Amino acid sequence: MSQTAIPSAQLRRSAEDAFAEELEALKAADTRPRPPNWRLSPQAVVTYLMGGEAGALAITPKYIGDRRLMEVAVATLATDRALLLLGVPGTAKSWVSEHLAAAICGTSRLVVQGTAGTSEESIRYGWNYALLLSKGPSREAVVASPIVRAMEEGRIARVEELTRIPSETQDSFITILSEKTMPIPELNEEVAAQKGFNLIATANNRDRGVNELSSALKRRFNTVVLPPPATIEAEIAIVETRVAALGRAFEIPAEPPGADQIRRVVTIFRELRLGVTEDGKSKVKQPSGTLSTAEAISVVGSGLALAAHFGDGRLTAHDLVSGIAGAVVKDPVQDAVIWREYLETVVKERAEWTDFYRAARASA
Amino acid sequence: MSEIRIFGIRHHGPGSARSLVRALDAFAPDCLLVEGPPDAEALLALAADPEMRPPVALLVYRADRPRDCAFFPFAAFSPEWVALRHAQEREVPARFIDLPHAIQLADGFGEPATEGPAAIEDEAEKDPETGPATAAMRRDPLGELARAAGYDDGERWWDAFVESRSEAGEDVFSAIAEAMAALREAEDAMSENAMSENASPDAERFREEAREAHMRTGLRRAAKDGFSRIAVVCGAWHASALARHHAKGQSVRDAAILKGLPKTKVAAAWAPWSYERLATASGYRAGVLSPEWYDAVWHHGDRVAARWLSRAAALLRGEDLDASSATVIEAVRLAGMLAGLRGRSRPSLDDLDEAAASTLCFADPAPMRLIRAKLVIGERLGATPAGSARTPVELDFAAQCKRLRLSPEGGSREIVLDLRKEGDLARSHFLNRLALVGIPWGTRRQAGGRGTFREAWVLAWQPEWAVDLVAASADGGTVADAAASRIRTLAHATTRVSDLSDLIGTLLDADLAQASADVVQALDDRAAVSSDVFDLMQALPALAELARYGSVRSSDTEPVRRIVRGIVPRIAAGLVVACQSLDDDAAALAKGHVEGVHRAVSLLEESDLGEVWRDALLSLAGQDHVHGRVVGRAVRLLFDARAISAEDAGTRLRLALSRASGAGPAAAWIAGFLEGGGTALIHGDGLLGILDDWLVGLDADLFTDLLPLVRRSFATIPRPERRAIGEALRRPGGTTPDATGHGHGFDAARAARVLPVLRLLLGPEPAPGGDAR
Repeated sequence: MSQTAIPSAQLRRSAEDAFAEELEALKAADTRPRPPNWRLSPQAVVTYLMGGEAGALAITPKYIGDRRLMEVAVATLATDRALLLLGVPGTAKSWVSEHLAAAICGTSRLVVQGTAGTSEESIRYGWNYALLLSKGPSREAVVASPIVRAMEEGRIARVEELTRIPSETQDSFITILSEKTMPIPELNEEVAAQKGFNLIATANNRDRGVNELSSALKRRFNTVVLPPPATIEAEIAIVETRVAALGRAFEIPAEPPGADQIRRVVTIFRELRLGVTEDGKSKVKQPSGTLSTAEAISVVGSGLALAAHFGDGRLTAHDLVSGIAGAVVKDPVQDAVIWREYLETVVKERAEWTDFYRAARASA
Repeated sequence: MSEIRIFGIRHHGPGSARSLVRALDAFAPDCLLVEGPPDAEALLALAADPEMRPPVALLVYRADRPRDCAFFPFAAFSPEWVALRHAQEREVPARFIDLPHAIQLADGFGEPATEGPAAIEDEAEKDPETGPATAAMRRDPLGELARAAGYDDGERWWDAFVESRSEAGEDVFSAIAEAMAALREAEDAMSENAMSENASPDAERFREEAREAHMRTGLRRAAKDGFSRIAVVCGAWHASALARHHAKGQSVRDAAILKGLPKTKVAAAWAPWSYERLATASGYRAGVLSPEWYDAVWHHGDRVAARWLSRAAALLRGEDLDASSATVIEAVRLAGMLAGLRGRSRPSLDDLDEAAASTLCFADPAPMRLIRAKLVIGERLGATPAGSARTPVELDFAAQCKRLRLSPEGGSREIVLDLRKEGDLARSHFLNRLALVGIPWGTRRQAGGRGTFREAWVLAWQPEWAVDLVAASADGGTVADAAASRIRTLAHATTRVSDLSDLIGTLLDADLAQASADVVQALDDRAAVSSDVFDLMQALPALAELARYGSVRSSDTEPVRRIVRGIVPRIAAGLVVACQSLDDDAAALAKGHVEGVHRAVSLLEESDLGEVWRDALLSLAGQDHVHGRVVGRAVRLLFDARAISAEDAGTRLRLALSRASGAGPAAAWIAGFLEGGGTALIHGDGLLGILDDWLVGLDADLFTDLLPLVRRSFATIPRPERRAIGEALRRPGGTTPDATGHGHGFDAARAARVLPVLRLLLGPEPAPGGDAR
């Protein structure tokens, strides 16, 4: 299959295709010992994620954040423990999981997307009923799940949104992770995992309550929490680039937003998310919403659309207020109090934010 | 010619200590010189006492000002301690050779008097001025070397470069001396530049020179005394400077430096120390970030990883958290893998910490905090033998007792203090401070109610409190310092805002202005995140009073004012939500809080706060589903403050009393509205009529049910007003002009109020049953 023919039509390429060159270069330059069935050594995997050099080629950073977290993640997979990536939405959990799988086993496509409707068949195996009826139970008639394929090939399987999978179905993972085999009682056979098999799961730790992992399952994972961006500058940069990309994609006829407006949105989001003002001097209450970077991006994006279609094309405080309030106030009672309190005690005190305070008061 | 070996160590470094033990065993010195205060040399023998358990500290303090003191903490893993014990076990004489604190603590040493080692807390703050790089380098030069090599902990660097090379032996120390010599050269060049801009490195430099000169002198003296194998244990930073001891003309130069230095009288004592305190940088010695971890490293060496993780698991199990042995095994494996990935032979604390977080704690920060508190910093407390020399706190206590003429003795007696007198006020402060450090010598008794200047105390001394005094040394040099430090700890642990505002009261009672900033900060933090509006409302009155009138002592009320300015809008924002679904008792409480805040806000006399509060009251008054007692009160407060007109109040009253709202809530509304004064009914146009109509319109059963409630509401109205209401009600009817109760136009209750004044004027009680009545 030719890789080069497709890209223009394909909306998104998988990690191993998009960064094939980097992975090849790392593999060529890698001299350190590799765990069985790994394409790269653990050190090279970390370099792939965090950026660096491989021979003459510069490796772009895939994850911007704490290197130590990536080291823990890679070391976990190298000790054949399953890895659970936790974080609020928009902290690059799936992104990291995809790149880890691509770097370690060369494919990120062995994925099970967790939903409330995920059944045991999609984790274990199903049957090709036509074959089953015509030839009776046989290995041929078994439709292997991505997990079983990963076991057979000694690769990394990925599970997205583990906590959305119903608890009964989650339990199927326990055998896989502790015994490293998958029995097929109908055939009196079992699939034994090859060396190199492992599992990366992602879950949102804000709504842990959806289908809380049983402690038996939890024990089989090493947990790494991916935090929101550490500094305001990093977050502003992320919002700016994403908003610019969105503006192009949806062809919004507005001026690009001023850096001060973005800074203000990010500041509000960070202060409410972290529960402390940027100057670190006073605390603020945290609302129930996640206030992720992704939401900040959408607030600025919708503000731009408002400005373009209903305003004069320049992003003002008025265009942002309703979006921000909507992101902050998820619980109509408690969050509303928190938002009002934040306006009165923090926003009101900032002289250069008067326009925003007025707009917020007017819409409250 | 005697052989001299200089061992440059890392203060409180277990790796350093282990290398030192090996080196001392090999060298077998007949004399040990340690960088330590010669003033405390007499106390050295006590280190061998079986009752002495590290962590302990040597305190050296000025006899006349115990506040000025220097601490020399020792943990079991401190190289100096290890060396001292080594010498004592082999009966080798040990000496301290640092510059005596009799000189270092003297007024006018080095530079301006304020800049002594006495100012222990100041030391850390001062660093930015002297240039953080050089200061940090002096404090922990090996740590700086480690940082240069890309390690963020000196211990790990030592481990990688020193410990893991088993054949290195004592060459380690000469290598370190060389490295230090290079570092010092670079630093010299750096501070030459810095000195031209800033004078303060000068003083620091002078102190260092004097200390090193004195140490070299001590070295030469030991050699002269005829010892043949002399071991010197000093901070690595000084190693190269001490090596110059036999350079030509050095003794003359040293003598010149040491000549004519001022001197004062100092005393020294052993005091029990704690790992917690060791972890906060104290004095110019390096603060140890992870004493308990170092302890584990010192005692268990190679097997530390598995041990430490098992302890972490045991700790979690003690807190009812899952932590199976299987998980510990996984944690050990992960730590080993991480160490390998990072190119280390053995897991360091970081690796273990991350491994524990991701396996044992499921990346939950709460149990990690527990692990860090207990297994990284640790809670170990040291002990000193009974009857060792007195600590500064004990001396301060004795001095205060003498000054205030209080003597600690058995039996109990009562004293009454008049707070207007300075001496008595100081006594009261002193007793309050002692109570804070856990010595409840005096028990306060109520004397004549609040607002008087008298305080009655029952004093009963318990001999075992002497131990608490010694323990208080760990918190500060004087009773006041120790009490202030306890208050700070309390402030950090307290979560309720109202408790913190009480703590401010305690602060004033004990006159501990130095801790007030911390309490105010804690209060600010808690108030910001508190979701308990009633808690805030409860805290406000005391704070408002403080903000308005200040305390007798501290005139700066601005920080408190700032807090109050933050709290009132928060209360205003949460008021309506907090007042939802209250039962009768909760409503009574809420009503009390609303009144308290209302009084506090009027006391503050800040117009924008008043406005915010009035808006909040208005929206509370407009609520349909809030308990009637609260709404009624809000309307009344607004009416009294003239924020709503009598007409508006009438409308609200009528609505509240309308049949649709039910009789029970209506009665509660009236209770809230009327409590404490009936003038509104007398002067408010038509209010009384509305009330009257409602009461008359009730059917018989309902009337019987509600009568007690209504009666109770009216009972809170002062009698004359009640009568005025009665008269007003009677007037429209026009009949029965007379018979206004007892007396003829004479109000007995009001007349009775004059009596006490008359009594004062006319002297003591006249003949029994005097006809004033």
